[in-house]
Amino acid sequence: MAKEKNYGNPELENKLRDRYFYNEDSKADFLKEVKRISRTIPEMCFQCGTCTGSCPSAPRSSYRIRLFMRRAVLGLEDEALTDPDLWLCTTCYSCTDRCPRDIAPTDVIMAMRNLAAKRDIIPRNFLQTVNLIYTTGHGVPNNDVNRAARVKLGLDADPPTTHSYPEYIDGIQKIIDHYDLKETADRVLEGVK
Amino acid sequence: MSSNGKHEYAFFLGCIAPNRYPGCEASAIETSRKVGIELLPLKGASCCPAPGAFGSIDLNVWYAMAARNVILAEEMGKDIALICNGCYKSIYEVNHILKHNDELRDGVNEVLAEIDMEFKGSIDVWHLAELYYDEKICGVKKIADSVTRPLTGVKVAVHYGCHLMKPMKERHFGDSENPMWIEELVDAIGAESVQYRNKMQCCGAGGGVRGFDLSHALDITNEKMINLQEVGADALTEVCPFCQLQYDRGQVEIKEKFGVEYGLPVLHYNEMLGLAQGMSPQELALDLHAVDCTPFLEKIL
Repeated sequence: MAKEKNYGNPELENKLRDRYFYNEDSKADFLKEVKRISRTIPEMCFQCGTCTGSCPSAPRSSYRIRLFMRRAVLGLEDEALTDPDLWLCTTCYSCTDRCPRDIAPTDVIMAMRNLAAKRDIIPRNFLQTVNLIYTTGHGVPNNDVNRAARVKLGLDADPPTTHSYPEYIDGIQKIIDHYDLKETADRVLEGVK
Repeated sequence: MSSNGKHEYAFFLGCIAPNRYPGCEASAIETSRKVGIELLPLKGASCCPAPGAFGSIDLNVWYAMAARNVILAEEMGKDIALICNGCYKSIYEVNHILKHNDELRDGVNEVLAEIDMEFKGSIDVWHLAELYYDEKICGVKKIADSVTRPLTGVKVAVHYGCHLMKPMKERHFGDSENPMWIEELVDAIGAESVQYRNKMQCCGAGGGVRGFDLSHALDITNEKMINLQEVGADALTEVCPFCQLQYDRGQVEIKEKFGVEYGLPVLHYNEMLGLAQGMSPQELALDLHAVDCTPFLEKIL
């Protein structure tokens, strides 16, 4: 099949575009990277589909964990990392417990998310959580209604965490800064590259 | 075990329990004391950090941040006990991985050296529910013996959540298809545990999905609600404040988005145990729950 159509109609050319898989589309390092980060064995996947059949996200979306497993094996990096479905895994690990090849597909997804994040592809809510932890130590910080309720229960208004011991926040910020995560969060949330 | 014969643990709180459902925290401390488990404050602990958000962006920072929390307990010389499955994934799993993977441990310790901390691997991490079930620590009988107000006449369904028991091979609970040990803990406090379709399905909130696509997360929750309604449960109990948030506030969101109302009270196992040991709804801050617990309370008080 011709890769170039030259029909002079971009819309039609896109509709009928070549969907074959060519060897040069494959990035061999992608599988290696996924394997290293996930600490599992994606190359053992024989596409049985038990993972998709076990997935709570599959029946209500186009997310197919089996497809991502195939993308890992074939080295289809761009297809995997730019697909928004990558972020619909609830990390329930049902696929992992049922995989007949003893693979952890959930951890394959986590590895792909890590690689997408290196391209600044990260949903905003993930980065907002990072920012909250950076400033307060908590992903879900305390508030006044809750403080009043805590006192009524005989607890301190703030729990004995970083909320009561803010001197620990400096160490948390140093860890996050070591990985430039705060910088990434600010850059992506502001939409500036 | 300490010299006074009590089992003492560093109590890792996480975020949702202390900052949204403080009744979970208060009841965990109170109910544990009555079965010989002392929960001590873990000063300076932070978010576990959230395995979905942090782990998805960079697993290395997740390892390092979780290790910092573990080290605080190492410095106390106490094992950690916690009451949230999300925290369990971070704290238990990172502790386990770093104990057994030299390369990752060295990498984490290099970063932690910047703040004068070192992961030693000297403690273990437990979910409080598994300590309750463990005969050597507490056991079902001791839980039953601590009950002063049995929750007789109510049907209670159990949501196990995902990260406590899965992935199976990195845990020690065995079968994750149809476990029954939390039902035993429910029956021990006088309630009738009930089975429902697809019990082990996720609540829908995890992996950052609640924040990324709320309707998607709620549609999973709604499927659970349909299955729970089918068996006539009077309440749902769980061992994860994040699942609790998804079911409790989720029911309000389901009503707004899908127009369906269930009114099913959702209580953490520690809140249930607190009621069974005679704690009042006020002592459990049940008024902070989004779904009114009154219909359930009227059946047991």
